[in-house]
Amino acid sequence: MEENKDNANPIILSASDLPSRLREGVTKERKDGGTGLFDGLIPAYGYPYDPFELPSSPSAISSDDENEVVEAIDEQEVYDLIATICDPEHPLSLGSLSVVNLPDIHITGPSSPRSKISTVLVEITPTITHCSLATVIGLGVRVRLEQALPPRFRVDVRIKEGTHSTADAVNKQLGDKERVAAALENGTLMGVLRKMLSTCE
Amino acid sequence: MSHPYTIPSHQITPLATLTPSSTTRSWQTQPHPTLPIIASASSDKTVRIYSLTSFTLLSNITGGHKRSIRSCAWKPNTKGESVLATGSFDTSAGIWRRWDVEGEGVRSEYDFTRAAKGDGSDGEEEDDEEWRFSVILDGHESEIKGVAWSAGGQYLATCSRDKSVWIWEELEEDNFETVAVLQEHEGDVKCVTWHPQEDLLASGSYDDTIRLYREDLDDWSCVAVLNGHGATVWSLAFEPVGNKKWLSEVEGLSGEQQALLEEREKSGSRLISCSDDKSIRVWRRRPKEESVGSNHKGGMPSILRTNSIEEDWYEEARLPQTHERAIYALDWSKKSGMVVSTGSDGKIIVYKERWKESSPTTDTAKDGEQLPDAPTQDSPTASTEWYVVAELEGGHDVFEINHVCWAARRDKDKRFEDEEVIISTGDDGEVKVWALEQG
Repeated sequence: MEENKDNANPIILSASDLPSRLREGVTKERKDGGTGLFDGLIPAYGYPYDPFELPSSPSAISSDDENEVVEAIDEQEVYDLIATICDPEHPLSLGSLSVVNLPDIHITGPSSPRSKISTVLVEITPTITHCSLATVIGLGVRVRLEQALPPRFRVDVRIKEGTHSTADAVNKQLGDKERVAAALENGTLMGVLRKMLSTCE
Repeated sequence: MSHPYTIPSHQITPLATLTPSSTTRSWQTQPHPTLPIIASASSDKTVRIYSLTSFTLLSNITGGHKRSIRSCAWKPNTKGESVLATGSFDTSAGIWRRWDVEGEGVRSEYDFTRAAKGDGSDGEEEDDEEWRFSVILDGHESEIKGVAWSAGGQYLATCSRDKSVWIWEELEEDNFETVAVLQEHEGDVKCVTWHPQEDLLASGSYDDTIRLYREDLDDWSCVAVLNGHGATVWSLAFEPVGNKKWLSEVEGLSGEQQALLEEREKSGSRLISCSDDKSIRVWRRRPKEESVGSNHKGGMPSILRTNSIEEDWYEEARLPQTHERAIYALDWSKKSGMVVSTGSDGKIIVYKERWKESSPTTDTAKDGEQLPDAPTQDSPTASTEWYVVAELEGGHDVFEINHVCWAARRDKDKRFEDEEVIISTGDDGEVKVWALEQG
């Protein structure tokens, strides 16, 4: 099994090292479930909100379609949306594999006062330079953001410069709306994506 | 971005949103060549036919395709019948037919009333029966991106992610034969379009090039490759016939300007292209007689013939760069000579061509300038420039706009003969109709 993977031994970050707003005050996250003694004192580790929660939940992203209230969305929120995506070949999240990193997420506001369009650029770092799954990972990131962010965001997903041998080709595919649309109508590929998008934990 | 000349002289104002609209992404909308109706291809696997008189849905063509319908095209020159071709992500193209009913005005009035009464459902089912799914064209290996009929309606071209362009000929009704499979491109072929007067086909691709094809001794072959775009070519349009009149109507043309018009006349229709590289480029063919006359005199007719099929196209001009993201579609008006474009940034922009003020020094920083590789020595020094006539932001609110085209205005508020409307198609599923107004 392990031999078939592009990268059988990826570097894995501990969850407590991942960027989060809730990290302050949490010195260490115990993955073994803890001793039970201090459980009630330590805030449960979690993300600011879960995009898959029902809309009635106050922590879910509220759609700004109806009331036109433009809600500020920052890089951390974008990170939280994509860091939990599962790597297609490891049972680990893209955040813990450092495939997505907070400093590689860039949000650009509207280019003019008349425009309402913002852009999110995510540069992903495949675990190894020839990783054949880079396109699938990128597609997963693009799909997650297109589904979770309000439609005023244009989502650009690219391979971080210098981290992949066929970055240009992958970038071109990920930037092609028509190809992405057709890919999402492909049952097999959607199966893979759905698995990735069901959050790793 | 600032444009030296541009204080837009016109406004793009909303006329109507066609109702009811698709609830998912709509890809493309095409006006019927003669009737006041349009066909809109949607990711919900259906085509909606709307009235341009009442702005309401007449029928919903369903059941033919298993995946998104990406494109559609009306066959020109049909008599008593409407024929629509559809291209789908399910790799097939479909041909649909419907008998035209009575006079066009009467018919659309009738349909409007009926659609309004039935409030959708009842009327729709009845209308659906009018459209007959007549042929399915199989052959492409992956998603079909574009479909286009030749000007006379004899040929249908389809293009696909499988990198090929197919040309089909309708030998008799519902009998389509593949006359060519052109595998010239190195990437998805995004669009195809035919020259308005010649059997000359153009295709734009993910490989950033444009290719032109023509039939020679029973075989279709590539006659020109247009390099220049730095990213995927999303859409192409040939200059409509009679377009030159817009420049020739100006009073007191100089000899040089006359000469440029004559040379353009020899070139035939120009081609315009838009791309993911955010540019719109105009391409012109170098008139044929010159190269043939100077290079080959007498002798070797067969070689001459082979040579003569190749065409030399060059980038004549670039339109002012106004879009901030990929430009997905453009259209060249048959009535006004204006060009309209749209794309991922949700803008709709209208451009016009005019004579350039003759100034001996070329300001290189200007938008829409004449390009350096345009012929300078052997061609007239008069030149034209493109400028922005109107600009609209957020045409479909925050959504991307996938397609835009011109159509004859057919509603009761039409202001003048030959008035046109702009039709935009968006990711919100909606199809919107816009008027172009002065001031």
